[in-house]
Order: sequence, then structure tokens, then C-alpha cells
Amino acid sequence: MWQKTKPYLLLLPAAATIILLFFGGIFDGLLKSFGYFPAIGETGFSVAAYDRLLSSSSFWESMALTLRVAALSSLLSAIIGAFIAVALFFLNDSIERTSPKPWHRLFQLPLTIPHLVAGYIMVLLFMQSGFLSRLLAAMGWIDEITDFPVLVNDPFGWGIIFAYAWKEAPFVTLMLYPVLSRIHGSWREVSRVFGAGHWQFIREIVVPVMMPAWAIATFIVFVFTFSAFEVPYLLGVTYPSVLPVYSYQLYTSGTLSDRPEALAVNVILAAITILLGLVAYYFSKRWNVLKGWG
Amino acid sequence: MSDLRIIDIEKRYRTAEPKGGASSFMLRPVRLTIREGEFFSLLGPSGCGKTTLLKMVAGLLEADGGEVWVGDENLTDVPPESRKFAMVFQQSLLFPHKTIEDNVAFGLKMQKVGKKQRLKAAADMLEHVGLSGFGSRYPDELSGGQQQRVALARALVANPRVLLMDEPFSALDPGLREEMRELLSRIQKEFRVTVLFVTHDRDEAFALSDRIAVMGEGQLRQVGTARQLYERPETTAVAAFLGLKNILSGTVNNGRFTSSDKTLETAVNGELADGDYFLVIRPESIRAAEGDRPGQVSIKGTVQEMTYGRGMYSLKVKAGSQLLECAFTTFQAEKTAVGEPIELLVDMKEAWFVKE
Repeated sequence: MWQKTKPYLLLLPAAATIILLFFGGIFDGLLKSFGYFPAIGETGFSVAAYDRLLSSSSFWESMALTLRVAALSSLLSAIIGAFIAVALFFLNDSIERTSPKPWHRLFQLPLTIPHLVAGYIMVLLFMQSGFLSRLLAAMGWIDEITDFPVLVNDPFGWGIIFAYAWKEAPFVTLMLYPVLSRIHGSWREVSRVFGAGHWQFIREIVVPVMMPAWAIATFIVFVFTFSAFEVPYLLGVTYPSVLPVYSYQLYTSGTLSDRPEALAVNVILAAITILLGLVAYYFSKRWNVLKGWG
Repeated sequence: MSDLRIIDIEKRYRTAEPKGGASSFMLRPVRLTIREGEFFSLLGPSGCGKTTLLKMVAGLLEADGGEVWVGDENLTDVPPESRKFAMVFQQSLLFPHKTIEDNVAFGLKMQKVGKKQRLKAAADMLEHVGLSGFGSRYPDELSGGQQQRVALARALVANPRVLLMDEPFSALDPGLREEMRELLSRIQKEFRVTVLFVTHDRDEAFALSDRIAVMGEGQLRQVGTARQLYERPETTAVAAFLGLKNILSGTVNNGRFTSSDKTLETAVNGELADGDYFLVIRPESIRAAEGDRPGQVSIKGTVQEMTYGRGMYSLKVKAGSQLLECAFTTFQAEKTAVGEPIELLVDMKEAWFVKE
């Protein structure tokens, strides 16, 4: 009996903490979003917060911005990440196998940097008074640093998109590279003998093989950028702001009675994320991601 | 005529650090002509350079010299994807994300053949290899033997000028291997495709080939039909590789051969200059003595070992310092036993002298 329960008991403190903080937090947020807020004397349930939120134009503007930023960031990361992965794959093929691979380390670098730092790097490099604009001005490419396009704290969200693309592309590469390395070295030989040139090999073998992992990696990037806070907080404008930032603004700047609305934003974010997760799961099942790999 | 001609093709080691004393050749210059529709095998132990030669013919490996021709077309500088060759490898190397019919149709797709046409060709070819109805499955749903049949179908469907095969059956179990040999032999005759086949299995090479090139230590040793090679090997190396173990060193003097350990002395058929020779005696040409016969020479020895295999007994007989291997019928073998003295007769018409 003791032997059987011991591992569970040992896990209990960690498990309890996680359950309490994670599910407790979600549950608390869910209750408050439905207006259950004993601290301000509200003990009834209502959908008033959702009602107000869904009828406010700033919510929908936030939603549009969030979707746009998430979609463009994941698309850019997916393209850049796949390009790096394929390039590394062919590079690996052509150089000696035993030599060390500084290339890989270089591309892994962004993975080690926190998002907050990545955001600051973007600020320092791409602001109108940033490194790049001053460099261009000094070289005479632009007359004044204000001629440099507004890439940070711009209403479209380019700063956020670039920061994410830079930060997440190596993640996509990291997800794709092991899949590519499963491509048998001899498949290149087989395809050549049967008449496939370089591009045909990529189109016929490399792309289809990496497609499922690619789609999943892109989806993960999308979900992450959809619900992440710090980079848009640092690089975005105050209005419109992405949903997580919008929620934060509502939560901190408003009164206590605005909090159900702020938490409703979070619940909606969580719901959309779960929904997207289910969609992705459904498609990965349908595609039979690992079909034929045995 | 579109014979495949290999003209002095060679491969050297990358000269970074030549291994102690070994020559710098991976493959010494090879000159071969393989006739259109011929089944030609490269036979040799592993590491003898046969796969290297095959890959150079395919264009997958760059030769350090020499040329490859098909008919009057020089293919030396043509990349592999434009040579219109096909290849079957040791593993089936099917693409796991493609169905069987898409795998088979791959070569045709690369040649821009329309979808309908190439899938029909694939289905036809699958029928030839006995896999009709398997088209929509994926490679991992097939057994190893079936996968190799698909690889064969994939190779043949594009009507290649030369079919290259690199030990295609060596990963299969013996029964399946025999079945695949028969299939390949039948299909090769049906399509009259030129085949260059690499193997280390002499039974396989003998069963399939019109002609065989025996290779060893990075060079071509002898080219001929299976029978020529087995009955008339040019060197002891070829004889030994083909499983001929009765190789007696000795000298020829005035038309008589004497083995070094004096167990055998006999007149030599035909003209042979005096000097050192090796006498190669096939196990089938030795019999137990039942009274003298002209043209045969007798050797006295002791039976050391008897093993039974596929209808015949294999005997090892100690004669002088030589251990002779003899193939006896059951009837002959039953008259003797391990440890008993025996008198052997060698049919000298069947024996063969080599210089080195």
C-alpha cells in the first residue's frame, strides 16, 4: 500500500501548487467575469460584463489587431523558420559530418533570449531614435532620424510582428529540423536516379514530409502570439492594444467594477485558444500526421 | 545498339590521410561492356568497390577518371537525374508519405507524364510484381518483401535504359530471396532491360546473371559466365571467392605436376610450361576410388569430417598437409566414416591449373 501510494504522495506538494494556482486562478477569473465578486458586494451571476465587452468597439478593434498581429507573426516565423531549417538541412548534407556545427548554435541563439529582452532589442534597434535609424542617418541614407519609418509603437503592430518573427522563427526551425533529419540521406539519391532535380526533391519530398510539423509549429506560434502580453505591451500603441494588453489596461486603470470585464477578456482568450487547440487536434488526426512512418 | 560501356572508370581515396600502406585507389580503372538486355552482375566481398562502381555508373558518385557511355551517348558529365537510369537499393527506400502507386509513379511524375497515364502505368507495373490492389496503401503497411517488389516496380515503370541494383535482396530472408530472384529473372526477360546487379552472394549471381564480373580489393578480377568462372578461374583469388577450397600449390616439370606436399603427382593435360602452379580441384570432381580408371589420379587420405547438406555429403579429407573438400552422393558417403582411410580419385579433365 505504502509502496504504491508513495510516489503520488511525493508528487502531491508540486501537483497541489500547480492545481491551486493554475486552475484556481482560472476558476476565480471565470467566477469574477460572471460578476461574482464578494469584495465589492456582488454575489450574483450575470453576463453583463460579456455583454458590455461584446458591444464595445474597442474590444473588437483589439480583437482585429490581435488576430492580425498573431497571424502575420506566425506566418513570418513559419516562412523564416522553414527556410532556416531547409538551409541547415542542405548545409549539413554538404559539409563534413564530424565537424562542429556553429551554424546551429547561431540559429538557436534567439531561443535563449526572453521575450521581454527581445522586445527591448527591437526598441533599441528599430525606434526612430534607435540604433538603425541613427546609423542610416549617419551614413546619409536618410536625412533625419524622423524619416525612418515608425516600426516600434506603430498602430499596425509591425514592431510586435518583427519581434515575434525574430523570436519564434528559431522555434519553428527547432520543431522542423528533427523531422527533416529523418529524411533518409539515400532518398536524395533515389530521387535523383528517378529524375528529380533539387527543386523537385524539395517539392516532392522535403515539403510534404515537414508539412505536418510545420503546421503544428505555426499553430503553436499563433496561439502563443495570440495570448502573449509582454512584447505587445512594450512595442504596441495604447490604442488599439492587443487583447491581453487590453485586459491588463481594464484591470489596472479602471475601477473595481471594470474587473469583471477585464477577466471576461481573459476567459474569451482562453476559450479561443482551447477552440483552436481542438481544431488543430482534429486536423492533425485527419491528416494522419505520421502516416507511413511506421 | 545501346550497350552500357564503362571505360577505365576509377575512384581514388580523398587523399587527406591515406590509410597505412594501402594503395590510394578505391577502385582501379575498370573497363566493361554490358550488352543491351544483358543481366550483368558485379560479384565480390564487401568493400571490394562494387557499390562504388555502381554509384559511379549511376552518377551519384563522381569518378576520378574514365567515361560512361550508353550506345553512342557519353553520359560521363550527365547528372544522375538526366541519365534515365533506375536503381533498386538494399533497402526499399520508398517514400513513406506517398502511397504505393505514387511511389511507383514517382519517376514518371518527374518526367512530367500526366497523372492519369502515370497512375495507369503504375497499376500495370504493380500487377507485374504481383501487388495489384496494393496501390492505395502506404509503405509501412507492406512487408519487407512486398516493399522491395514496389521498389522494383518503381524502377521499371519509367522504362530505364539501365537498371542498377545494389544488393536488393540481401535484407530479405532466404525463402523470400529465392522468390524475388525468380520474379526478377522473369521480369528482366519480359522487359529485356539491361541490368547491372551488385551482390556478394555467389549463388544469387550464378542464378541470375548472363555474365558476372568478379571483383576484389578494388579491381576487376575476371569476367565471364558463371560456368566459365567456376570451372576456369584465372586466379586462386577468384577460385577462393567462388568457394573452391581445394587449391594445391606445386610445380610442373616436364609435363608432370607435383604438389608441394607430394600427396599428388600426375601428368598434365595439354601444354603447360615448367614452373610453379596452383591446381584447383572442384569438390564435385573428386570421387571415392572404386578401382583405377585411366585419366584419373588417386590421392590417399583420412576422412576428417562429414556434413550433410541438401542431398549431398560434404567431406573433408586430410591428405598430406592438404585438406580436400569433396562432394559425395549419399550412396558414396555411406561407405565411409569419419576417421577412416579413403582413396580419392580426381578426374584430371575437371582439374584446372592457375599461375597465381
